Amino acid sequence: MPPNGSSSAAAVWAILRKECRSEWRTRYGLNAALLFAVATLTGVSFAVGRLPDRTDLLSALLWVVLLFASLASLAHAFVKEVEGHTMTLLRLVASPTAIALGKLLFNLIFLGVLELVTVPLFLILMGGPPPRWGAFLLVLGLGSLALAATTTLVGAVVSQTRGRGALFAAVSLPLLMVVLAAGVSGLRAQWDGNPIGADVRLLAAYAAAVLGASVLLYDHLWED
Amino acid sequence: MILRVLLFVWIAAALVAGFLWAPTVEDLGETTRVLYFHIPSAWIAVLALAWSMLHSLLYLRTRRLEHDDQAAAAAELGILFCVGATVSGSLWARAQWGSYWNWDPRETSIFFVLLIYGAYLALRSAVEGDERRARLAAIYSAIAFVAVPFLMFVVPRIYATLHPSPILPQAGEKTGMDPRIRWSFLAMLVGFTGLFFWMMSLRVRVTRAERRRLETREAGA
Repeated sequence: MPPNGSSSAAAVWAILRKECRSEWRTRYGLNAALLFAVATLTGVSFAVGRLPDRTDLLSALLWVVLLFASLASLAHAFVKEVEGHTMTLLRLVASPTAIALGKLLFNLIFLGVLELVTVPLFLILMGGPPPRWGAFLLVLGLGSLALAATTTLVGAVVSQTRGRGALFAAVSLPLLMVVLAAGVSGLRAQWDGNPIGADVRLLAAYAAAVLGASVLLYDHLWED
Repeated sequence: MILRVLLFVWIAAALVAGFLWAPTVEDLGETTRVLYFHIPSAWIAVLALAWSMLHSLLYLRTRRLEHDDQAAAAAELGILFCVGATVSGSLWARAQWGSYWNWDPRETSIFFVLLIYGAYLALRSAVEGDERRARLAAIYSAIAFVAVPFLMFVVPRIYATLHPSPILPQAGEKTGMDPRIRWSFLAMLVGFTGLFFWMMSLRVRVTRAERRRLETREAGA
């Protein structure tokens, strides 16, 4: 590949495959995130017990569990490159945008796997009423997209600072308030049988805005 | 020098007018007078955030460290005024609503602004190297710039407000506000804005002096 790199789909695909392969070899990031999610879930479950009719609490707690698990794990994609001293090499073979997009796709898949385990477990342990699956998955999916877009950009920034892990959660949180607010309100609405249109639109617009801004900003991520 | 003296005289005069000349509003009593500090502080908190974000974007475009100096100074002062607005508002809420904090939409929005300032400054303090710090902080600022309008939009949907209406009348709306209160308030608003830009110019000058000193020391070493 040329030294300037390319932001073509091939480069993004190559980064994504590399990420999946290296994660699959150690499964360190995923294991840690899953354990973290299950630990949070257990803590929440011990604290409040089963809540079959409190949809307000259920929707808030589900998002809190997901938020905790993602804040504990989603910076990993960039931090491991910095800690393994492989970032320079990666930058030689691909453009910043291709790297960031590849890692964003990886983070999305990562989040999907995390939710595949956490969400059913949450519904079982907390005794939540059966969700309206279409609406439930739509809110969850759009929320995850916004979550991944935000944390990928912040992760890339934070990986270049001192005290990466601790800073990541603190710096991401203000940007994730919208996702949290709209996500909680959307999940609650689908459980209560109310329309979810406004929340879905808000989540979609936020995800699109953050993604759009990210694509413009990715080029500035690494320069020195 | 003359401008600085004028600024202090202006603010002092506006304060005297606010406390001695302007009357109080019937339902609010003496707590009316918080508006001479609270609203100008909140205004500066938002103005500083916008100023900081604008200069961050300019930095990404031009790569001139002067823009980063402006962005950082505005954020540092912004957090000061933001705390001022939050504390004065909270004290007022205790007197008027009976509790310091209610997650009223205005309280929630100012809390978000405070969080963003905090995160921005925490991020800055963790990066080494002027240019890298400027670049990373500017990226964060740009993405926060995207998030803020959503926050302003999402928050009122979740909570209902008890906060008094905006002080400046909307188009076509008649306010019952006494003109003496309005003039004192507007004078304080102008005074605070002047104070902010004066303090910011000082902060920017200090940053530049520090950088020059470091450069001379490195050149000498």
